[in-house]
Amino acid sequence: MEAANGEGQVQVHLKTKQEQYAVPDVPYAIDGTVATTELNTFINALLQNATQVDFDFLVFDEYLRGRLCDHLKEKAISFEDAIEIEYVERFPAPEPQDCLLHDDWVSAVKMRGKWILTGCYDNTLNIWTNKGKHVLTIPGHTMPVKAVDWVSLDSETGCFVSSSQDQTAMLWQWNIGSNAVECVSVCKGHERGVDSINVSPDEKRFATGSWDTMLKLWSAELEDVGEGTSKRLKESGTRTPQMTLQGHRESISSVQWMDNTTLLTGSWDHTLKVWDLNLEGIKTEISTNKSIFDASYSKLNRLIVTASADKNLRLYDSRINQGSVVRNTYLGHNAWVQTVMWSTTEEFLFVSGSYDNQNKMWDCRSPKAPLYDLLGHGEKVLDIDWSNPKYIVSGGADNTVRVYKSRKALVDDMDTK
Amino acid sequence: MTKKLTRKRNVKETEASKDVAQVSETSDNEGNQDLLQPIKDNSEGEDTTDDEGIDQEYHSDSSSNLEFESDEDGNYLAKNDDSGDEDEVNDSDEESGESDQSSENEHDLKEVPKPIKSTNNAETEDKPTTSRTVQVVQKPKKTKGKVAQPGGVKDEYEDSDTSDEEDIRNTVGNIPMHWYDEYKHIGYDWDAKKIIKPPKSDQIDDFLRKIEDPNFWRTVKDPQTGQEVLLTDADIALIKRVNSARIPNPEHNEYEPWIDWFTSEVEKMPIKNVPDHKRSFLPSVSEKKKVSRMVHALKMGWMKTMEEVEREKQEKRGPKFYMLWETDTSRDQMRRIHDPVSAPKRDLPGHAESYNPPPEYLFDEKETKEWLKLKDEPHKRKLHFMPQKFKSLREVPAYSRYMRERFLRCLDLYLCPRAKRVKLNIDAEYLIPKLPSPRDLQPFPTVESLVYRGHTDLVRSVSVEPKGEYLVSGSDDKTVKIWEIATGRCIRTIETDDVVRCVAWCPNAKLSIIAVATGYRLLLVNPKVGDKVLIKKTDDLLAEAPPSDVIENERIKAAVQWSNAEGAEQEKGVRVIITHFKPIRQVTWHGRGDYLATVMPEGANRSALIHQLSKRRSQIPFSKSKGLIQCVLFHPIKPCFFVATQHNIRIYDLVKQELIKKLLTNSKWISGMSIHPKGDNLLVSTYDKKMLWFDLDLSTKPYQTMRLHRNAVRSVAFHLRYPLFASGSDDQAVIVSHGMVYNDLLQNPLIVPLKKLQTHEKREEFGVLDVTWHPVQPWVFSTGADTTIRLYT
Repeated sequence: MEAANGEGQVQVHLKTKQEQYAVPDVPYAIDGTVATTELNTFINALLQNATQVDFDFLVFDEYLRGRLCDHLKEKAISFEDAIEIEYVERFPAPEPQDCLLHDDWVSAVKMRGKWILTGCYDNTLNIWTNKGKHVLTIPGHTMPVKAVDWVSLDSETGCFVSSSQDQTAMLWQWNIGSNAVECVSVCKGHERGVDSINVSPDEKRFATGSWDTMLKLWSAELEDVGEGTSKRLKESGTRTPQMTLQGHRESISSVQWMDNTTLLTGSWDHTLKVWDLNLEGIKTEISTNKSIFDASYSKLNRLIVTASADKNLRLYDSRINQGSVVRNTYLGHNAWVQTVMWSTTEEFLFVSGSYDNQNKMWDCRSPKAPLYDLLGHGEKVLDIDWSNPKYIVSGGADNTVRVYKSRKALVDDMDTK
Repeated sequence: MTKKLTRKRNVKETEASKDVAQVSETSDNEGNQDLLQPIKDNSEGEDTTDDEGIDQEYHSDSSSNLEFESDEDGNYLAKNDDSGDEDEVNDSDEESGESDQSSENEHDLKEVPKPIKSTNNAETEDKPTTSRTVQVVQKPKKTKGKVAQPGGVKDEYEDSDTSDEEDIRNTVGNIPMHWYDEYKHIGYDWDAKKIIKPPKSDQIDDFLRKIEDPNFWRTVKDPQTGQEVLLTDADIALIKRVNSARIPNPEHNEYEPWIDWFTSEVEKMPIKNVPDHKRSFLPSVSEKKKVSRMVHALKMGWMKTMEEVEREKQEKRGPKFYMLWETDTSRDQMRRIHDPVSAPKRDLPGHAESYNPPPEYLFDEKETKEWLKLKDEPHKRKLHFMPQKFKSLREVPAYSRYMRERFLRCLDLYLCPRAKRVKLNIDAEYLIPKLPSPRDLQPFPTVESLVYRGHTDLVRSVSVEPKGEYLVSGSDDKTVKIWEIATGRCIRTIETDDVVRCVAWCPNAKLSIIAVATGYRLLLVNPKVGDKVLIKKTDDLLAEAPPSDVIENERIKAAVQWSNAEGAEQEKGVRVIITHFKPIRQVTWHGRGDYLATVMPEGANRSALIHQLSKRRSQIPFSKSKGLIQCVLFHPIKPCFFVATQHNIRIYDLVKQELIKKLLTNSKWISGMSIHPKGDNLLVSTYDKKMLWFDLDLSTKPYQTMRLHRNAVRSVAFHLRYPLFASGSDDQAVIVSHGMVYNDLLQNPLIVPLKKLQTHEKREEFGVLDVTWHPVQPWVFSTGADTTIRLYT
């Protein structure tokens, strides 16, 4: 009866991997009705710290969100057992930092260093600094830009690619000093709008996925040394694809390099495909039951999180070959989730942007609720980026790019400095 | 039979005295000598007697000789006549038979057995012995024997005398002889003279004889004549043989060599060389034909069996009336009626019906009043009559209600159910077809995902690009908008001069054309989205009119003019303008994208037009108006054309130019239709809240009528790939249903309503105006009077 009411006492072991917050490993009898806040004050009391530290509690690899007893009941864990509760310092809430106003919908956004590159529905690319200063507007495409990515960046020059509905991808070189940008080459070959673009980790190639269902690979080098390219093409700065991979039946909505020879694509034909470029073929195929709008692969935990034509985010493991094994489903958005991206530094965190005008930050161990809602957009979120661990950047249909500062990364950064 | 045996019956001529008896012995011998001559003559006759012995056997065998007796008598007589001749024959025979022996020897031999023979005969056959009679009687015997002899095989019928008849000296017949006990005689001989009994010897005599007569032991008495007969040695031997169960004839050799007349071995070759005739083992064909003809005739009732004929005759003769409940008794004929009910029985008459009922049954005043009061509804009365009292049965008048009651009784019988009707005890749930759970029929749209806002008036029509990236919508705000499906971004807005009634994206992915019906004009617009090469190609294609070699007929010219867009409209993307003579309500493409059809409900007999894009030519397929045309549709595969008037749908073959089928919708007003991509099923929406599913192979009537909406259904649409269809209605709901069409022709389509999506807002009685599916994804678009387009996924 006590268990049913959740009023019984539960024996817990409190553990942590963060040594500075370790408490003696003795079993504590805790009331079943406790929630995160009570546990927080309890740990803080044990630690006798001067400053209050917020913790999150992991019970059986899942975040504790409500009362402990409810959580246990849901997991069908006996109240008699000694329960191990792992606590981690709570990831600090990102702070909205800036709002970068554009003339039209921002459909693509990418940050590297302090530079924010955005692609717009008014066919232009824009470069901003993290301080919110508009550096450059680059016209060049004839139709809305759908995706952008940085190839390389150093203190003097930056190099980036953009893809657009005008069926081309463009490789740009940007001289920071003179603030001049030059279109190195136009990549022609797709027969419909190019929806996704991603540059390989070794910065030598980039891949594009298009509405014509093709996946094409292009050289990202500034001097194209392709053998088959004709002189005329070279002069005009037109590039032809190094490789064309056919396999999807519908538009490819997302493309990402897993390593230098492996590509992950997500498509409207309800599949995720992992391509091996050495074999020029499909290595793994994961069938889902919804069109995939975006997929993101984390090098840290080797999992794939997808945004598809529903409100949920799903976690897949590309190493599992057969069937569509959904590792987890993340519920929280109220409309289509358009974009998703793993953190490059935190193993468990990822962010998502949705048509419900919200960005959310998730811990993959917390499927029921996100860690934080990043508010700010007044319209659909079309793209989100967290490639710079310090900033979460998102562009939306409200013609703005929102910049959120991730505090913890900031601290770590400062520590390293 | 050998002659020896048959040799002679020596009948003793008995004299009255004992002495005579003794003498008789001697005289026998003498007599023998005396009689030698005649006996010789009679030798054959003796044969016959022997034969007769055999004859007897025959007769004893066949006891049913009564019929033949008369014949035999006849024979007998006849033979008597013939006897003389035959004697001669016999003689010769005899001689031939005994040729090897000398006649003398023969005589010697004959002499010895004679007396024996005679006794033998006497014993066995009870023959009266008068010398005369013997001779008389012997004659016929002889004849018989003689006839029998020659072949050595006797014809039993030749000498068919019975033992009774043969050699009868006493003519009284087969009667108990004790009847003559009191008489001196013992019957009559052939000459009707009395046969005198022999003197009765007393016991002493007998005893003396026993001692004296060495032949006493072999002397027997003939009961019929009372004579004593001395058995011969041959007789004794015969008796002994019979007693010891041996064959009576000692001459018969049982162990004669077997002559194998018919061999037991199977011969290789047939004895008869003639093969069996075919008909000996084939059933006769002609007989079979005859029989089959008769059977057929019986079956068909042309021929009747005797029984039937008899019955029919009887029926004709009998009275003609019909027993209402005849079958009650004859169960056999009732077998067809399942669980029959027997005729209702009338109640037995009670006391009240008596002519002299007990006083308590008579009505008092109150009861009478009550009875009278129910005059108008007599069935409510407790009794249908008023009990009456009469002093005697004589005073009872004729029953006035008799005829009526008979009639009512007949009615009762006539209207009474004759079989019990079993009520079906079926659970209502059982009758509901088992539909699969919607959960198993995923994917289908369940939630609203995107709203495309931008129009300022009700959006009448929507159409999706064949690749599924873009969407076009036409609205009453006189604009056409092109949208990016994934983001809800309006890419382009094309303004027109009039209300846009209908938009249709060309289903051919190799062309980039949208047909826009706005007012009197049909615009062919290049949306300039998607593949640039295709856009360019389409522009080239539509830039110039191909040289037309056909002189258009007046009727078409008056109805339609083709022209190229110019100036501002060209800038907007409009390429070709087809001006009609009446406002266009609907435009639809043929699957290949070369033909498109327009509907002008006010165009009378020119209300449906088919345009050919490549030749810039228009046709008026119908010369007569069959009603107010609502919408038209091309078959996805066959060259068929569906025309929906207000009440019916006609299917025309465009090649043969004839009506194939007319579908009866039984509805007041058709609003739209959609055909299954396989082409065998048609979905029709009507303004009277119904949706009709026609299986074109099945019937011209709806396979299923769905009343899912609460208000007029405006539009229906099949998905191209998934087994889904959607309907939009004025009740602001879009209902998504599962409509599975099986390849197996025997399996009917499965229709399961899945989801009601109701997010559109109501504007002036209008809800959802159009629904369209995404060509690839299980997504449905709906346009509403609330100026929005909504996407459900």
